Amino acid sequence: MRNYIIKRLLLGVIVLMGVVVITFFLARVIPSNPAAQWVGPRATQEQIDKATIELGLDQPLYIQFTKYLTDLFKGNLGFSLRTKQPIVNELKTYLPPTIELVIMSTFIAVLVGIPLGLNSAKRKDKALDHFCRFFSVGAVSLPTFWVALFLQLIFFRALNLLPLGGQIDAKLKLIYQIPNYTGFLFLDSLISGNTIIIKDVYRHMLLPAITLSLYPVGLVARMTRSALLEILSEDYIKAARSYGIHEQKVLWLYALKNSLGTTVTVLALSTGYTLVNTFLVEAIFSWPGVGSYIAGAVVSLDYPAIIGVTLFSAFTYIILNLFADIIIALDPRVRV
Amino acid sequence: MNKKLSVFLAIVLILSILAGCGNNNTTQNTPTQEPLDIAYYAYNSEPILNWDPSVMFSNGIIILNNTYETLLRFYPDTKEFEHVLATNYEKSEDGMVWTFQLRKGVTFHDGTPFTADAVKFSIERTLEIGQGASYIWDPVEEINVIDDYTVEFRLSYAAPLDQIASSPYAAFIMSPAIKDYPSDWFEAGNEAGTGPYSLENNSMGDEVILTKFNDYWKGWDGEHFDKIIIKKIPETSSRRQMVEKGEADITLQLTPEDIEALKNNDSVKIYVEPSFTNLIAFFNTEKAPLNDINVRQALSYAFPYKDVVDYAAGGYASQSIGAIPKGHWGRGENLFQYSLNLEKAKALLQESGIQQNELKLLLTYMSGDEAERKAAELYKAELSKIGVELEIRAMPWESQWEMAMDPLPENRQDIFIMYWWPDTSNPYSWLYSLFRTEESILFNMSYYSNENFDQLIDLGYEKSGIDIEEAENLFIEAQSILIDEAPAIFIMDKEDVWVTSSSFSGFKYNPSYPNVVFFYDTYRK
Repeated sequence: MRNYIIKRLLLGVIVLMGVVVITFFLARVIPSNPAAQWVGPRATQEQIDKATIELGLDQPLYIQFTKYLTDLFKGNLGFSLRTKQPIVNELKTYLPPTIELVIMSTFIAVLVGIPLGLNSAKRKDKALDHFCRFFSVGAVSLPTFWVALFLQLIFFRALNLLPLGGQIDAKLKLIYQIPNYTGFLFLDSLISGNTIIIKDVYRHMLLPAITLSLYPVGLVARMTRSALLEILSEDYIKAARSYGIHEQKVLWLYALKNSLGTTVTVLALSTGYTLVNTFLVEAIFSWPGVGSYIAGAVVSLDYPAIIGVTLFSAFTYIILNLFADIIIALDPRVRV
Repeated sequence: MNKKLSVFLAIVLILSILAGCGNNNTTQNTPTQEPLDIAYYAYNSEPILNWDPSVMFSNGIIILNNTYETLLRFYPDTKEFEHVLATNYEKSEDGMVWTFQLRKGVTFHDGTPFTADAVKFSIERTLEIGQGASYIWDPVEEINVIDDYTVEFRLSYAAPLDQIASSPYAAFIMSPAIKDYPSDWFEAGNEAGTGPYSLENNSMGDEVILTKFNDYWKGWDGEHFDKIIIKKIPETSSRRQMVEKGEADITLQLTPEDIEALKNNDSVKIYVEPSFTNLIAFFNTEKAPLNDINVRQALSYAFPYKDVVDYAAGGYASQSIGAIPKGHWGRGENLFQYSLNLEKAKALLQESGIQQNELKLLLTYMSGDEAERKAAELYKAELSKIGVELEIRAMPWESQWEMAMDPLPENRQDIFIMYWWPDTSNPYSWLYSLFRTEESILFNMSYYSNENFDQLIDLGYEKSGIDIEEAENLFIEAQSILIDEAPAIFIMDKEDVWVTSSSFSGFKYNPSYPNVVFFYDTYRK
């Protein structure tokens, strides 16, 4: 087991290195002039020349790359061309809101998706099953931007129940001291114990989290359903039933437990996917997360920022994959 | 586990979601002594990305023009200057020496008193860093402090220093105390201006909160806002809904469809204002056959001006007359305007010996810009009628620009579409940057070079500070050359449409300061 994990970790490092190499050179092949970006629009030639030297862009590409790598090992991802801030600081600002949102949506996915799939499997080909299957196909295939706008129209415009966007009411911010212990706003507000802030932050989170959760909900429900259907036809379930064990217990305890491996794998991968694909949802809900950040960086070809976010998402993918693999490896039926 | 548990879980889930609902009256039952008057500006992009007033050269002016002040402020409709930090100024007859009397009793937000030293320090710092729009100060040779409240600028060539000093970029006066602050002080999000509002809270790239500066020299009598929230709301439909519901007070950049729908809504006010942004299509004059004036004129006659105004800009624009947009001085109202005339275009192409279906052109525009895309597609449709094939390529700005700077004219695009807006309120801002002979390519995307034109606009710029009427005539004469030789199609002058909540009053847009709301002048009624 230990060897397995070490092997996987080493593989992960190799993948990360590949990502660095590819993004670095790809970003440099695209026609653009980072020095001109650094100086700003309408720069003069002298300003651009000066910046070219300052940024080391007059050096050959392989020297620039070695320098980038050495900086990387020191935890320095360079400076954004747009804002001139260290990328590490920018990520510290923009990542927490996204991570919070993704955790929340994963939470909803588990809470809704698993019961949905379970009940669907239990009443196979009955009305409930059809509904659940219809719902999960819809959840996977509805475009998120449409769902987001639709939810806004209902909950903000028509019913006036939930806020339109943002992380917290801007005016509330002027009245209360907004705590900042961890950078994660929801966590911070929980720590502060101020119920008004907790409620407000939570309300702001609901619509974007529900929108984001639709894809994983559908996925989890379908996966749970198909895994359970297979399991339910196995002998040990028949045996359990013939012993007269309560049907709910058979389902929730004996069957579900064995289907969780698939579900967790799917969930881990879809969380990784959600983490880097929040852009549309963030834009519509004015969520100050990493999705909006990377979109801005791509449009202005801010290559240090692009590499920074790419590296982060590659890293997360690897970790989540590893997590899924370990979960599967823990299953005694799987021999490592 | 049993049925009860799953039912219980479902109830908990539903309840917890519902708990978040309920009326959003959180702001009302809060313990404040007196209600604050708060203005909310829903902005379509990052409110600010760089806090250094010497360097910032983009969106950030919407913040910095409320936290900092300039010596003068320019009003393009009357061509007059408001005296802000300067109370008066004189210029020598040749326009080479400018003396500013400064306002007394002004303090910076950090408590430092405002004096001539601050002016000298600010402009010299901006020049020394040499980034952003610092080049506007290029004519300045030296800055002399005569006494505490008098400062003298000596120029190396005649230039309209009053217009430069009122620029929306790089003309901010900052506290001299900042030289002792750490070098990353601005980067961390700080300011040291004299403006009516000071920075209270800043989450970079997302939201900025300003609060009134109690010692502001104009005082706080009368009605003003106490706090200003400026927040990035990228989604158009969100901005519309916020201003409709009164959650936001002012916004812009809505779609023409949204504006149409809001017209009959009493809860909002709509302001349609000229902007100083115009859309221009540049021909690659260094590449055959676009080096032929007749071909360029033909292509100018094939452009669907009216359709582009109506459909690409939703009617919120007007066809340009020359390079200078509507409402800006130096615009030649009587200059020739091309119109869509395909017969004439065909005849001109034949004159140049170009056969049907022989000409293939590449047009580049900035990806993501809907108005540019629609304009390009409408143009393509017209061109196909006269046997010219247009390839339209959307590119990120950086790539579009880089391609335009290729050393070989053959490798560059044939037509380059972009917007332009002024850095100082002077026609030179367009004519110099876009059409003056360039040694290395920067923004002259036509690669246009005409000695006569260069002389006219240089003289016009020199005269701007001395005799603005004469300068205006020179600039108009220069533009008539451009229209005749057609290095570019002057497509349209855009209009800005502002939507405010009905209680937001005192707003008057000054297009010399793009997207800026001077919040000190506004109040709730």
